[in-house]
Amino acid sequence: MSDSSEPTQRAPVLQARGLVKEYKRVRAVDGIDLQVDAGERVALLGPNGAGKTTTLMMLLGVITPDAGEIEIVGKRLPRDRSAAMEQVGFAAGYLPLPERLKVNEFLVLFGRLYGIHDPAPAAALALERFGISDLALAMGNELSSGQRTLVGIIKATLHHPRLLVLDEPTASLDPDVARRVRNGLERLCSEEGTALLVTSHNMLEVERLCDRVVFVSGGRVVADGTAEEVATRFGRDDLEGVFLHLADTAQPGEQAQ
Amino acid sequence: MTFSGDRALAIARRQAYVLQRAPQRWFDVVVWPVVDAILFGAIGVYFGRQQGAAAASAAFLLAGIILFHVVFQAEVSVATGFLEETWSRNLLNLMVTPLSELEYGAGVALFGLVKLAIGVTVVSLVALALFAFEITSLGLALIPLIAVLLFVGWSVALVVIGLILRLGQGAEIMTWGFIALLLPLSGIFYPVNALPGVLQPIAEVLPTTHVFAAAQQVVAGHPLPWDEVGIAAGGAVVLAILGVWYLTRMLATFRRRGYISRHV
Repeated sequence: MSDSSEPTQRAPVLQARGLVKEYKRVRAVDGIDLQVDAGERVALLGPNGAGKTTTLMMLLGVITPDAGEIEIVGKRLPRDRSAAMEQVGFAAGYLPLPERLKVNEFLVLFGRLYGIHDPAPAAALALERFGISDLALAMGNELSSGQRTLVGIIKATLHHPRLLVLDEPTASLDPDVARRVRNGLERLCSEEGTALLVTSHNMLEVERLCDRVVFVSGGRVVADGTAEEVATRFGRDDLEGVFLHLADTAQPGEQAQ
Repeated sequence: MTFSGDRALAIARRQAYVLQRAPQRWFDVVVWPVVDAILFGAIGVYFGRQQGAAAASAAFLLAGIILFHVVFQAEVSVATGFLEETWSRNLLNLMVTPLSELEYGAGVALFGLVKLAIGVTVVSLVALALFAFEITSLGLALIPLIAVLLFVGWSVALVVIGLILRLGQGAEIMTWGFIALLLPLSGIFYPVNALPGVLQPIAEVLPTTHVFAAAQQVVAGHPLPWDEVGIAAGGAVVLAILGVWYLTRMLATFRRRGYISRHV
């Protein structure tokens, strides 16, 4: 599934084929195919319970699919999970920073886990890049949700991943912090060629940030293309209209999940 | 599978920060050892006085409680090391890094050794200062006994972590519960034949029972009974295999059923 508006020769950093996941007779993911190319910015969208987070967790090797195949930068999951994750960064708006760690200790810890031998200089540079150097010595549990999100994204990008996966990165952020996050991500992707796979319920943000959107509903991909293409296909003015349309037609249990 | 010492050390460092900044974590490492040393030392002295052998009686109980703290600290430090990640909702952060299960376990166990050293030193010092009992009087016999207890503690910790993965944080009580079960069943302060008959076969299959039986022989002035140590070591190997097998299965179940949702 490459970007239909812009044929590209870029190599895929993520390829998932036929992903299926069932929980107690509920099919959360029902045959999802997804490809993200190098440097591409893709949004995975859909109503609550559509299967987005389960899909992300399968792509990250945290949940084992019932069926399907996943390759990240040519590394097959789950066999080569560790090697694959060296090329992936992950942050989620809902994840707190671990207690009893200062921000710089948190970044150094994860820098080491991602294979950086001396992560302290990279951590200091990244904090400066996002304009939060003053937080280096703050304890993780003292940060606001916006600061926590920024630190989480810095953690996810310290090792210069080929693929950055973000789950609801700007949920509960005020517009100013959300803009800083978006600008930081745009700069990172354009400067380092990092591919981005992001879930969000903020359709405006997605339209600004992403080249391509993949809508899922009922565990299946129901649309894949640029924001304009997808809106046109559903006869709506924008992604918000598509989202509301899909939410209206979703199974009752799907929304409640 | 590749193994990164850097990653294991990073996890050990993380555990060190937790102990440094969480005063309540010192309870397992310092407070319980002090309480146990005073409690069992005093009981030993009291009962020993009835028979005119207070020092010998106290030595018997204190050797038992000091060695019990080896298995206790080994198990609790690894299990609470993992629990810390669930309490901090840090499990997902760790699971999406290149960190392997072996590297994580090595890091937690490495810092667990530090906690064990602190805990056993504390209980030993209290025994020496208050009851004039020197655990080093057991001599080189301590080395194989401590090694077996260390493996038993780590193996039990693997089972406890497997239970937490399978059942969620509700299973965290087993961190202290399993070890509490070993306490009466292992004949730490009395011979196994003092237990009710129905419990004696269970006690006999526990490697810890044979470690404490061996220690009691040494405290009584006899040479180390290597047959008991051999049985204990064999049991510890079986327990380690069971622990790894159980944890591997529970981790597969955790990934298959998507239990990460309990920890975010």
